[in-house]
Amino acid sequence: MLVARRNLAKDKMRLGLSIVGVGLAIMLILLLNGFLTGMNRQITAYLDRSPGEILVSQKGVSNLLGATSILAPGVSTEVEETEGVDLVIPILSQFIILDLHDKKQPVYLVGYIPELGGGPWQLAAGREPQGVGEVVFDRVLANRHKIQIGDRLNITGADYTVVGLSEGTTSWMTSFIFLHKKAAEELMRSPQVTSFLLVKTHEGAEAINVLQKLTELDGLEAFFKSTVSENDLRIFAEVFSTPLRLIVAIAFFVGSLVVGLVIYTATIERQREYGVLKAIGARNGVLYQIVVIQALVAAVTGALFGLLLVYSASWGIMSLRPQYLIVLDPMIAMWALVSGLGMALAAAIYPVRVIAGLAPAEVFSK
Amino acid sequence: MMRLAYRNLFHNKVRMTISAGGVALALMLILSLDAIFNGVEEQITAYIDNSGADIFVTQSGVRNMHMASSTIPVETIDSVEAVPGVDAVTPIHYLTNMIVLGEERQLAYIIGLPEGAAMGKPWNIVAGDNIPKKGDAIIDQKLASNVGIDLGDKVEIMGRSFNVGGLSQGTESLVNSVAFISIEDFTAIRAAPGSISFLLVKVAPGESYDRVTRDIEAQVPGVTVQTRMEFAANERQVVKDMGTDIIAIMNLVGFLIGLAVMALTVYTAILTRKREYGMLKALGATNRHLYVSVFFQALLSVVLGFGLGLAFTLVLAEGLSRLGSTLVLVINSASLIKVGMLSLIIASLSAALPVRQISGLDPALVYRG
Repeated sequence: MLVARRNLAKDKMRLGLSIVGVGLAIMLILLLNGFLTGMNRQITAYLDRSPGEILVSQKGVSNLLGATSILAPGVSTEVEETEGVDLVIPILSQFIILDLHDKKQPVYLVGYIPELGGGPWQLAAGREPQGVGEVVFDRVLANRHKIQIGDRLNITGADYTVVGLSEGTTSWMTSFIFLHKKAAEELMRSPQVTSFLLVKTHEGAEAINVLQKLTELDGLEAFFKSTVSENDLRIFAEVFSTPLRLIVAIAFFVGSLVVGLVIYTATIERQREYGVLKAIGARNGVLYQIVVIQALVAAVTGALFGLLLVYSASWGIMSLRPQYLIVLDPMIAMWALVSGLGMALAAAIYPVRVIAGLAPAEVFSK
Repeated sequence: MMRLAYRNLFHNKVRMTISAGGVALALMLILSLDAIFNGVEEQITAYIDNSGADIFVTQSGVRNMHMASSTIPVETIDSVEAVPGVDAVTPIHYLTNMIVLGEERQLAYIIGLPEGAAMGKPWNIVAGDNIPKKGDAIIDQKLASNVGIDLGDKVEIMGRSFNVGGLSQGTESLVNSVAFISIEDFTAIRAAPGSISFLLVKVAPGESYDRVTRDIEAQVPGVTVQTRMEFAANERQVVKDMGTDIIAIMNLVGFLIGLAVMALTVYTAILTRKREYGMLKALGATNRHLYVSVFFQALLSVVLGFGLGLAFTLVLAEGLSRLGSTLVLVINSASLIKVGMLSLIIASLSAALPVRQISGLDPALVYRG
């Protein structure tokens, strides 16, 4: 242990650089995971915070985001009359792309009836839309584009006044904006059309039984909101998982190479000393331990530095770009250490082979 | 000095491999992320690029297809056809929805095509019809084969069952695929007669696209009119604007990792050759000579790393393509120039680190022990 520690600490600059390299690689892995967790939370924000337990959609639609659902007028009454249903909240929703300061900004537009609910769950300023010419904008998006209450905005050809700013309705991909349902019908040129129904069940009614009854209605699908959240997450996970896994794998290899370079150099530099240890009776097992301990110390210190970096980087990113939510899992330290251990073991393979091939007599031959 | 740098670098092949490999992977991080976004940009405009239309007419204020919806009254078809210079108009319905293939669900652009559509139809049919009959759907061949679905099998679109009447190629991307049904089926399911999503316009031979675009916009109320190129550029802009911050963050991290690896390598290489550098100083070499040698060594390693990083990314792109992945990597000259510039900065900064060691080197060191 002492030999390993001294060998490693002999050159502090080299050790420092290796810790920085491993730390950056670990930070990248953790940052991407935190980013994905945050994105997932943002994706399900509307379903998590909107009223009701059940979501009713057009037959064949099992997602809120990504899929278009169209329910004909009259469906709402049919659902209301189903046994166990307490309240039905219709919403008309659709992704649209806004052109704000020469930037394309996708937003998820929700048309709702303020008296029933389904709109913003927290207002940072202003009020809910009362008329057709009014809009509630996501606060973060509004700040980014210097939009204030009272401003007039053109949304797909029609002008709207910003009357409120909502909180917790942003994400890096898309933010939410809210209109009165009548305004959304006009904007989408779909009079009396509804996309989804948020259904609240009667107190005491078994939600599963209500769901069963709703699924029996012709042309409709009914799901618990949690199921729809899972479906939405699945769509985005499919899109992002391959690139993400690719980048994490590259980061892991880079980290292993950095530790590998340091341990390899330290081993080669001390080749003669390892030969002496062998000549005086040290077995390969002891020498392997020295190498592995060096790799572990470099990698684990790098992993701890990576932890520090990831917390600082995520704080910096979220302060500068509040649309990004980076959620660092409480188990993050464990993941950092596991990644560090993996890198240490991968990095020790080649130096261990060098030692194994070392002839004890080499020390006396020079 | 360059020869010395070359020999110093290639003297220890393992160290050189590790350093070039580390830089290559760091640069690959930057290159591959750029390539992913370039690939998505290319895929996302596949339908527009291959539609055969010269001009797209949409609802006023709608400038995109992806993540957008457009509704225009059917009367607009006649109004657009009446504009001088318009050769043909194909109305299409469009929305994003799920295709259900057995247990699989896939997000797709659902296109409603009229019988005998001249534009907007699948551009590469490998089996079956190229325009869907009533009750039929044309879906992507790769998507179908992944779940063992063939011509005549059933799929579910917007809650309705369809026979697979055709299989198309080039209609699947990382984000979604494209499926085609008849406009009749689409209108019946959507329950929105009297409206259409987009109009695809063919300009008469010899007519100017820009003039016809301007004339349609001036003569037909409530619509936005764009040439195919403008429409596709707006589509690519969505991906660009969504990816700007992510790419900037990844570029910074990739750059820092590359810098750490290269600085570590150059520093280690100088340290292990300390005596030799002292010898050179004793023989009359100035600090400047040694700095040039160190910089050249760093530059050589980075150039090697850049070449390797590019090769890794190309191999990855080819591998993904052969595996039939929807993740398509496209490397363009802009990202090559960017990564090339970053490589130069990495080489310069990492060569600056051992300056203190070299300048403080005592020529007499070589005569000691």
